[in-house]
This record gives sequence, structure tokens and C-alpha cells, in this order.
Amino acid sequence: MAERPAGAEIPVATAESPAREAWRMFLRNRSAILGLVLLAAIVLISLFGPPLYGVDPFKIKGAPFTPPGVDPNVPLGTDHVGRDILAGMIGGGRATLAVGASAALMTVAIGLLVGAMAGYYGGLVDEILMRITEFFQVLPSLILAMVLVALFTPSLYMIAIAIGVASWQSTARLARAEFLRLKELEFVKAGRTIGATDKRLIWVVILPNALPPLIVSATLIVGVAILFEAGLSFLGLGDPNIMSWGLMIGSSREYIFDSWWSATFPGAAIFLSVLSVSLIGDGLNDALNPKLRER
Amino acid sequence: MSVIRKSFAPTAIKATIGAGLGFALATGAVADTPKKGGTLVIGSPQTPRHLNPAVQSGVATGMPGSQIFATPLRFDENWNPQPYLAESWKVSADGLSVTLNLRKNAKFHDGKPVTSEDVAFSIDTIKKNHPFKTMFSPVAKVDTPDPHTAILRLSKPHPAILLAMSSSLCAIIPKHVYGDGKDAKRHPMNLKPVGSGPFRFVEYVKGQHIILERDPNFFLKGKPYLDKIIYKINKNSNSLALGLERGDIHLRAFNTKSRELGRLKKNKNLVVTAQGYAAIGPIAWLAFNLKHPILGKKAVRQAIAYAVDRKFINEALHSGLSKPALGPIAMGNPLADQNAKRYDLDLGKANKMLDAAGYPRKDGGTRFQVTLDTLLSQRDVAEYLKPQLKKVGIDVKLRIPPDFPTWANWVKSHEFDMTVDVVFNWGDPVIGVHRTYVTSNIRKGVIWSNTQSYSNAKVDALLEKAGVELDPAKRKQIYLEFQKIVTDELPVYWMYGLPYHTIYNKKVGNPPLTIWGTMGPMDNVYLK
Repeated sequence: MAERPAGAEIPVATAESPAREAWRMFLRNRSAILGLVLLAAIVLISLFGPPLYGVDPFKIKGAPFTPPGVDPNVPLGTDHVGRDILAGMIGGGRATLAVGASAALMTVAIGLLVGAMAGYYGGLVDEILMRITEFFQVLPSLILAMVLVALFTPSLYMIAIAIGVASWQSTARLARAEFLRLKELEFVKAGRTIGATDKRLIWVVILPNALPPLIVSATLIVGVAILFEAGLSFLGLGDPNIMSWGLMIGSSREYIFDSWWSATFPGAAIFLSVLSVSLIGDGLNDALNPKLRER
Repeated sequence: MSVIRKSFAPTAIKATIGAGLGFALATGAVADTPKKGGTLVIGSPQTPRHLNPAVQSGVATGMPGSQIFATPLRFDENWNPQPYLAESWKVSADGLSVTLNLRKNAKFHDGKPVTSEDVAFSIDTIKKNHPFKTMFSPVAKVDTPDPHTAILRLSKPHPAILLAMSSSLCAIIPKHVYGDGKDAKRHPMNLKPVGSGPFRFVEYVKGQHIILERDPNFFLKGKPYLDKIIYKINKNSNSLALGLERGDIHLRAFNTKSRELGRLKKNKNLVVTAQGYAAIGPIAWLAFNLKHPILGKKAVRQAIAYAVDRKFINEALHSGLSKPALGPIAMGNPLADQNAKRYDLDLGKANKMLDAAGYPRKDGGTRFQVTLDTLLSQRDVAEYLKPQLKKVGIDVKLRIPPDFPTWANWVKSHEFDMTVDVVFNWGDPVIGVHRTYVTSNIRKGVIWSNTQSYSNAKVDALLEKAGVELDPAKRKQIYLEFQKIVTDELPVYWMYGLPYHTIYNKKVGNPPLTIWGTMGPMDNVYLK
């Protein structure tokens, strides 16, 4: 920012950094705050809940199919093996959130790399990369992820990678569009004129300006990835040695008519986490979109 | 052992119900007169590879296969052989020959007569292609002195021979169709089978349905009663249960889901029964790969046995519907040892044994890590074993296969530590028990062979002796001795008899409840 003459009357709003301004916009959005609070609560419970509650979610703690509220030892009841649902709820969040976050990171990494290259260089590079993107785009992503997980042994890493590989295309297209638009703008041209390298132009000059829509889409992808993990586990392709909400639903789906609670509680947890990320995503979208700032 | 059976008089056939055929049913359904006509809809979760039981074992092929193909004999619900394609038979005193007198009016569904040539061809095909090698391996050749007499010549006495000639194990296939030199296992007609059973093939859409219709020329006059049988295939057991409740599905067999059964039992239109599985003798066990450096030790396996609570599995996991299995022979079989070593839950003993075996708990309380695979249908038991074995310091890593072939691949290539498995007795130990314990059956690439790599010369010798012993009392002695050894060495740890149940609508008359249940012919079944 340029030096300002001392004592000049400057409106407060414009004195803010863009990030601060976005934050203020975000805070004005009630549903976004709700999402943030919700997510913070879920993350805190997942991080500190297991050591506090201290029950191994795999441990058999009561009679199988104990309904919630019957045995004070297992307040949310037990599943078909007798495992404590509450322990699973508290302990299962880590895996679900970790997969969600790392899959989203994976998606953004692949998508950004492909999109940036395609958008910045254009021409043949663009053609090739976009055809590849389209190739992946026509594959049903859940089925692609299923095939990848089934081919290798199901583990959390594999699931995160599979989700990333199966869902980076839209991020790539978004990144490409941003790069296409930004590379023609004057500040980029100026950078090129003074001899900045491609690397510098891509990562230092264009990327920060292309970030807002990418951040919004990454947030939404976290939600999608959580659902993906649940879906894979539901189909029996999750990692059976790490408790996750998806695994809980998947292993009790056969008993849904006999014990509603063993699938409903983890289902609600997934619902709330996806909802919270979506609300945050929407809030960010509004906050980072300059056209909406005057609202 | 010598059995002679006269063909039953035609009056007996006319005499209303199956009672005349020795099919008096335990449910007391004998009161009504069977009605002709109607379509029976059977729900099944399994998609058979094809429909020829002569070259394929298993329930999926066996259920429709027994309707399409007739067998020389059939068995009632009390383990008594009954005439079927053979109207009478005779086993020679030395046990080295079996003479079958075939019915003269039996025809295949394409109109050609069933002859002794077909019997000889079928037994030869089964011997070469069926996975149960011991079933007909003693049959050296089949003589065919005339078109309606077949004489099986045995190289050694074979106490299981009559059972081996019954439902789903000995489909008589037409030589003029399957004898064209093509590989029997991949024969195109396995998907459009031609047999001589009560129902003929109409249509099979994989994963969807199998349609069979009554054969008007079936050799038992007046049978079958039903016009059609439709096998509706749906992988989801819940959907099948809903179908039963709605009444779209009349019958579903091989259901083990205790909660579902508990719910269906309350439905006043349905009957839930555990009858009809005596011959199949399904035992669920925890198999150990004896080549594993730790699991190869007997003390470790015994410790694991002491750590597993059979009672919890029977009473809590299966809501009291399953019973413990104490040894290699299904508890319903007269040859089973009811006093086998029990390994009742004793965590203290298990811990001590593991300490003594040289696997003390490390800092985390863990002694060692092993993987545990499971058939998808027994997933809940594997999920139970994981925390249960953790109690004695064994860290169990579950491997849940995405589908059956993946699991089968792991196990048959011996790439597993432990697995939950279900293996059938198939009536006689010679057919379904020996294969798991004899050294000669350690065959990589074959599922349900001796995949544990168990080898004990004494066991081999005992089983060989039991396989040719015709005197039932002596035979039982040999099997008791065998059971004593294996229940001590534990190449597998038998946990429970699979709680197979058949659910049928009260509209179904003469439900299939013989020792072969739904894997036997359903010519007596009718709809009220």
C-alpha cells in the first residue's frame, strides 16, 4: 500500500486490509457464524473428547442392541456387537474430519496445479490438460473412488487419495478460468515486462488474486469429501480398524430396521459437520466476493 | 451295509400327500390336500455362476440345480435314503459295488430318456470337475449292463456313497448335451441347463432372477404341484425380509440374521424354522494360518480359543439362535463328539499361556499384531473378535474384503493370518470334513481346501481308515479319536453352527425341510 500523507482524512473501511474486511463481512453473516461455531465444537470434541471420555470405541461395553437411554453406562446405546455408540461418536470424528480435510487439500493441490498450468500457458498445454480433466470429469467420481480403494487395501490415506483423485476436476476448471482472466490484467503484464519468471508470476502474482473462489470451493469440497468417506465406508470400503462415523453407519446399516440409533447418531454427526462447512463456505463466498460487499 | 428298496406302489403315489413318499413333515402340514398350480417365489441373496451342480458346489447353484436335475437318490428328514431316479438300489456286502435300477419312464426336459449311460457320464463328469474330490474318487468305473441298470464299481468301501448320490451332489446330466467334448466347467449349457428334475429351465438373468416351470413329463406322476418357481435375487437381506413381510416372496432360506429373524418370527403370516440344514452342517470357525510364525504355535491357538467367548456369540450376537460348535463335525451329525474339549472363556488362562509361549505384553499392553479376515456374512463376529482378543493383548487388524472373490483369493493363496470362515459338512465327513484336515488337500489356489496347511500323520491315517470303514460303530470310534486330536491341536477354532433359518409364508404347503432343505427337490411343495 502506498504511503499516505500524514493527517489525511481516510474512511475507516478502506484503511482495512482485504483480509480484515473479509473477516468483518463474514462476521456479519449469522449463518456463517453458526457454521463456524458448530465446526469449532465438532473439532474440539474430536480432538479432546477421546482422552476425556476414555472409552475405546471398539470396546464391547454393553449388550448388543442396547437402545439409547436404557443403560447409563452407554447413554447413546450400543451397536450390533455391543460397542458404545457415544465412544464411536466422539472417537469417530477424528478420522472423518481428517479424511475430509486431507482429501480437500489433495483436491485443491491437484486441481490448482492442473488449472494454473492450463490457464497460464494456454495453447497445447491447455488442450492436453483440459482433455485429461474432461476424461476424469465424465467418470462418476464415487465409482472411481470405489475402484481405487478396492484395488488397494482400504486405509485412511488411500481413501483420502482416492477422493482427491476422483474430485479435483471442478477445482482445476475453476483455477484455469481465474488464471485465464487474471493473466491478461495489467499488473500481470507489468510483472512480465519487468522480467518476472513464469514461476513467480504464477505463484506470487496471480495465485493470491485467484485464491478467493478457490478457498470457497475448497471449503465446500471438505463437505463433499466427508460425505465421500461416509459413502465409501457405508459400502464397506472404509478402513475397518479406524473408527469413523462412516464406518459406524456402514457396519450397522444391515440392522437399520432393528436399531435405528446405531446409524442415526453418526449420521446426524456427518450431517452437522457437512452443514457447518457448507455454511462457512457460503459465508466466505459472500465475504470474499467484492460485488456483494455493498450489501 | 446292504440296503434294498422296492419301488413304491403306484397307489402310494396317488395317496394324497407326500406322506406316502416318506415325507411326513414335522410341521404337521400333512392335513391339507396339495393343490396344483401357482408360482412360488423364493428370495435369494446369491447370484449363481451357473446352474449345473454337477461341476459346481454351493447353495446358489444347488437350490435351483436340485429342481432342474434329478439325482439317483434323495434323503428324507431323518437321514433315510429314498428312491428318486433310481427306483431301487443295492449295495453289495463287501461295499465294493452299488447297483442302481433306474426308472423306465424318466425323461430329460428335451424328451430323450434317462439311461444308465447318462448316469455313468454324470458320475465321471462330477469326479473330474466337482470340487468335492472325495465324493466319487473311490468309484473306479460305472458298468451299464442295460439302459436301466448302472453298477458303480468301487476301489474301496465308501460309506458316504449313498449320500453322495443324493440331492445337489450327484446331478444326472444328459450325455447327449454335455458330452460334446467341451469343458464341463465352462459348458454353455450350464446357463441353459437340461435335466430330468421336476422343473425345467426357462430363464436366468444374472443378479435378477431364475425362472423355472413344471415339467409335465416328470417321472413322478402328478408331481410337481407348482406351475413355476421364481428365484428372485437381491443381495440385500433387508429387501428380501420386506418382500416376505409384504408377501411378494414366499420363501427365503439360509438366513442367519438374528435380528431380522426375530422380527419375522413375530409376523403371523410367516413361519421361521431352523429345520432343513442337517446335511449341510454349516460350521463357522476361526481359521489359523499355521505357517504364521506365531499362530503356528499350538499354545497360542489354544490361548486364543480360551479368549473367545462362544456363549457371547451364541447368546448376545446371535440372540440365542446359534449353538456352539465344539469340533469339526456338525453337532447335529451322529458322528460328532459331544464331549470334545470345550475351551470355555478363561482370560486369565489365555494370558498365562501367551506369557509362557514367549509373547509378553509390551509397553502398550500389546503382545503381537495379526490380521483377521472375514467372510462378509460373518463380519459381526470378526468385529467382536477384534476387541475381545485385545483383552489378552493381541492387536487384531481387520481386513474386510470388498467382495467374496477378494476374500477367497487371500485365503486360497494362503496369504492370511486368521480368518473367520464358514465351511459345510455336506452330510458325511468324507465329503465335507476330511478336506480341511488331510495333508494331501493342502492345495494352493483351492478355496475350502486345507488352507491352514495343517499336517498330522496320525490324523491322515485315521481319516483314511474312517473313509473305508463300513461298520457305523467302528467308524464313530475312529472319528472320536480324530476329533480328540484336532480339538487339542486347533488348526481352526470352531465357534458356532451357523444359525441358518428358512422363513416361509404360511401359504406354502409341504415346505422343504428334509436334511437337504431347499437344496432338495421341491416336487412336493404346493401353495395353499
